[in-house]
Amino acid sequence: MRRDQMTPLERLAAYGAGAPVDRLPCVPIVGNTAARVIGVKVGDFRGNGALIAEAQVAAYRLFGYDIIRIFTDLYTQAEAMGAKVTYPEDETAFLAAPAIDDLGDIDRLRPADPYRDGYLPQHLEAMRRAVDQVGNEVAVTGAVTCPFTNASFLVGADKLVRLMMRAPEKVHHLCELSLQTNIAYAGAIIDAGCTPSLTDAMSSMSVISPRQFREFSFPYLERLIDYIHGRGTSVTLHICGKTAGIWEAMVEAGADCLSIDNDADLGEARLAVGDRVRLMGNVHPSEVMLQGIPDAVGRATLSCLAQAKDSPKGFIVASGCSLPTETPFANIHAMLDTVRAAGWPARTLPLP
Amino acid sequence: MSASERELFQRLSDAVVEMDEDEAVAVANEVVERGIDAYRAIEQGLSAGMERAGQLFDEEEYFIPELLMCSDAMYAGMDVLKPHLRSDEVAEKRKVVIGVVEGDTHDIGKNLVKIMLETSGFAVTDLGRDIPPGRFVETAKEIGADIIALSTLMTTTMEGMGAVVRQLSEEGIRDRFKVIVGGGPISQGFADRIGADGYAVNAADAIRLARSLVAPAEAAA
Ligand code: B12
Repeated sequence: MRRDQMTPLERLAAYGAGAPVDRLPCVPIVGNTAARVIGVKVGDFRGNGALIAEAQVAAYRLFGYDIIRIFTDLYTQAEAMGAKVTYPEDETAFLAAPAIDDLGDIDRLRPADPYRDGYLPQHLEAMRRAVDQVGNEVAVTGAVTCPFTNASFLVGADKLVRLMMRAPEKVHHLCELSLQTNIAYAGAIIDAGCTPSLTDAMSSMSVISPRQFREFSFPYLERLIDYIHGRGTSVTLHICGKTAGIWEAMVEAGADCLSIDNDADLGEARLAVGDRVRLMGNVHPSEVMLQGIPDAVGRATLSCLAQAKDSPKGFIVASGCSLPTETPFANIHAMLDTVRAAGWPARTLPLP
Repeated sequence: MSASERELFQRLSDAVVEMDEDEAVAVANEVVERGIDAYRAIEQGLSAGMERAGQLFDEEEYFIPELLMCSDAMYAGMDVLKPHLRSDEVAEKRKVVIGVVEGDTHDIGKNLVKIMLETSGFAVTDLGRDIPPGRFVETAKEIGADIIALSTLMTTTMEGMGAVVRQLSEEGIRDRFKVIVGGGPISQGFADRIGADGYAVNAADAIRLARSLVAPAEAAA
C-alpha cells in the first residue's frame, strides 16, 4: 500500500496553493470512535480533556487522516448554558432536558464562559494538548454547535420550531445568546491554536425551509463566521441532511468549505457552489462506513472522487457526517487507502 | 352531504392547512351548534386538512414548523369536537403505543407520525424518546394496544426494534400486537428481518399501514 509522502499540514497548504500533492486530503470524521482506538469507554471522555486528546491523537496516528476534530457530542455549549446531558457509560451523550422548561425563564439564560462553564474548559484542554502533541504536522479543530441548533437545546426542538411561528423574537433571542457563547468559545478555540469547525443539524432542510434558514439561522452564522474570519482563520460548515436549497446561503454566510451530508448530492453541490467554496463529503457514515465492508467503502470513496475531485475550489474526501462509534477500523483504513491509491491528480477508475 | 356541511368541512380543512387555530375553533363550534356529526367533521375536515399539510410537506412546501402549527390547529378543533362524538364512535378507537427506541433522542419524525395517527382516529400513547424495549411491551400490555409503533433515525439503535419483537415472542404474546417500524435507516427488508408487521417511509404511509393492519380481516382482504 502506498504511504503518505507529506504531512497533513504540508498537504493542505500545498493543495490550497494549487501546488502538487501526494494525494487528496481525506477526513473520515472520527468522533467517539477514538475511544475504541485506545480501548476506553466513551463515557470516560466526560470532563477528561487529557483522555480526549490522547484518543484523538492516537486515532490520527493510526489512520493518518488530515484533520483532527475534538468532538464528543453536540451538547457541550448548551450544557455550559444549563441544558442537562445524559452520559451513557459507553455511548455518545445525548440531551436529557433543555436548559429551560418554562419560557418565562428565558431571561435567566446567559452566554457561557468557555473557561469556566460546563466541560468547555476540558474540551479546550483537549485541543491544547492535541496541538502540543501533533500540531506541527496536522490541523486540530474544535467542534462548535451553531446558534440555531444550540438554541434548540436551550428550549427543546419542538418548542423552538413552534416559537419560530408564534414568537419569532424569542427564537432570535435564543440564537443571539447561543451566538455569544459560540463567539466566546470559537475565540478560545483559536487561542488554543485550533480552528473552529461548525456544525448545525437543525438548520437542515430536513427540518426548516430555506426561507426560515434565512431568517433564523443565517444572520447568526454569518456573524459567527465574520468573527472567525476576523481572527484570520478559515472555516468549514456542516449541515446535516438535505441542504441543496441552502447551499447558496451557506456560501453567502461566508463558509470557506461546505461539508456535504450523505443525504445531499455531492455532484450537484460541485456544480452549484464548487466554484466558490471547497467541498467535503460524503461517504455514508452508517450504511457504508459502519455497516459496509472495505470494498464497499472503496467504491463509495471512488464515487465521491468521481463527483467532486476536480471541484474548482478543492475537495476533501470525507464521510457525510461524523462516524458512528463502532465504525470498523478496516473501513476507515479503506477510505484512506483508496484516496492514497488514487494519488494526485486523482484517478477514479477502480485500481487492481 | 349538504352544501353547508361541505363548506364547513372545507373551512376546517383550510384552517388546519393555514395553521389558523382560532378559525379551527370557531368553525368547530359552528359544527357543534348546527348539530353536525362531529366524527365526520373530524374526518372530512380536520384530518383531511392534516393530510393536505402532509402532502405539502412531501412537496417541500411545508417544513417541520408549519406541520407542527397545522397540528396545533387540528388539535384545537379536535378539542372542541371530541366531547360531541357519539359513544359508539369513541369506543371504536384503536390503540397505539409509540416511541423512539433506546439510545436515540431524534423525535421530530415520531411526533409527526403520532400526530397523523391521532388525526386519523387512533388513540396514541406516546412514551417519548430513548425508550428501552421492555417499556414498549409493558405499556402495550397495560393499555391493551393494537399497535406498537417504533421509531429510530440511527443505525446504531435499530436493533432495539428487534429486541421489542423478540421480547413479545418470548412472552408468548407476539400475535396480540402489530408492530410497525420507521425512521431514516429503516427499510422494508429490515422490518421483515426482525419480524415486524410493517414499515412505512413517511407519516402518510404510516397511517395507511396502521389502518390496514387493524382493519377487520374481510375488509383487509
Ligand atoms: C434534526 C437532526 C438532529 C437533531 C434532532 C432534534 C430532535 N429533537 O429530534 C439533533 C441536533 C438533536 C440531532 C442529534 C444527533 N444526530 Co441527528 N439528525 C437530524 C437530521 C438533520 C434531521 C432528522 C429529522 O428530524 N428529520 C425530519 C423528520 C420528519 O423525518 P424522519 O425523522 O425521518 O421521520 C419521518 C419518517 O422517517 C417516518 N417515520 C419516523 N418514525 C417512524 C415510526 C414509524 C412507526 C413509522 C411507520 C414511520 C416513521 O415518518 C416521519 C414523517 O414523515 C438528520 C439528517 C437526516 N438525514 O435525517 C440527522 C441524523 C438522523 N442524525 C444523526 C446523528 C448521528 C446524530 C447524533 C448521534 C450526532 C452526534 N454525533 O451527537 C445525535 C444523536 C444523539 C442521540 N443519541 O440521540 C445521523 C444518524 C446516522 C445513522 N444512520 O445512524 C443523521 C442521519 C445525520 C447523518 N447524516 O449522519 N440530530
